[in-house]
Amino acid sequence: MEAPQYVAARVQRALAEDERTHELGIRVDVRGEQLFLRGQVTGDERRALIADVAGEAAPGLTVRNEITVMEVRGPGEEEKL
Amino acid sequence: MRELRIAAVGDVHLDESLRGRYRERLDDIEEHADVLLLAGDLTRHGTLEEARVVADEFRDLPIPVVAVLGNHDHHSDLPAEIAFMLSEAGITVLHDDATVLDIDGVRLGVVGGKGFGGGYAGKCASDFGEPEIKAFVGHTKRIAERWRVALKELQADRRVVLSHYSPVKDTLHGEPLEIYPFLGSYLLAEAVDAEGADLIVHGHAHAGTEKGVTPGGIRVRNVALPVLGRAYGVYCL
Repeated sequence: MEAPQYVAARVQRALAEDERTHELGIRVDVRGEQLFLRGQVTGDERRALIADVAGEAAPGLTVRNEITVMEVRGPGEEEKL
Repeated sequence: MRELRIAAVGDVHLDESLRGRYRERLDDIEEHADVLLLAGDLTRHGTLEEARVVADEFRDLPIPVVAVLGNHDHHSDLPAEIAFMLSEAGITVLHDDATVLDIDGVRLGVVGGKGFGGGYAGKCASDFGEPEIKAFVGHTKRIAERWRVALKELQADRRVVLSHYSPVKDTLHGEPLEIYPFLGSYLLAEAVDAEGADLIVHGHAHAGTEKGVTPGGIRVRNVALPVLGRAYGVYCL
């Protein structure tokens, strides 16, 4: 059986290198038969696409998509330097 | 001399699916800031289609916009074309050089560029060994030297450095230590400390933290959108 570290590394590379995603900021963890994805993205579509690419790179694992969609707030308070 | 309000954000990673979404956050930006700085990774894949979305989101704002490109903006080997498209939309794009803006009689000098990696003092790559490593480190060294020269020649009342990669480790806190050499280089901070500036803003480190300082005491702000969680940060000088 392939070591989970290699599977996670392959998924991380796929997310970075696949032209559908080019996503560098997602944490990937493999635990048993489960593949966990964590991080923040800017939309639902992108969140789903990342799970698709990850699933293709690790067939047979159950993808647990824990990526959150970030809501961009207003500028908030200024900082005086 | 009046206070200057510097708005800054990086890593907006725009594409067609996000068209219009960012712009709606900029409607009243002139109420909050005198200038907007974009700290690179404006696109996802560095394509001209994505650059067109960036140009449209940031064109015709009531305040000046100054940008640098990031590593994502280089992915399709079209950085010059992207920079040209942004400049056509009225955005000043820095490539290891400087611009000076007159804001109600106060001269704001902005020096910057993409920056690059290599790591931080004592734990970094050296200009030694295989040509591939020398090319990697040499790229950062040349950038740092160009920034130093640009800062030395800069005539301005306030000085801000705009980068994509991080000049310090402080603002990387939260990122895995193992990838620090790919997130920035101390050579960038060393160059800025040598000539002086009031503020450095950068992006690139999505999992980092907002606030840091160079060894020379210059404030550093990581303005990557996932770090800020707001449309832009505003820093008053």
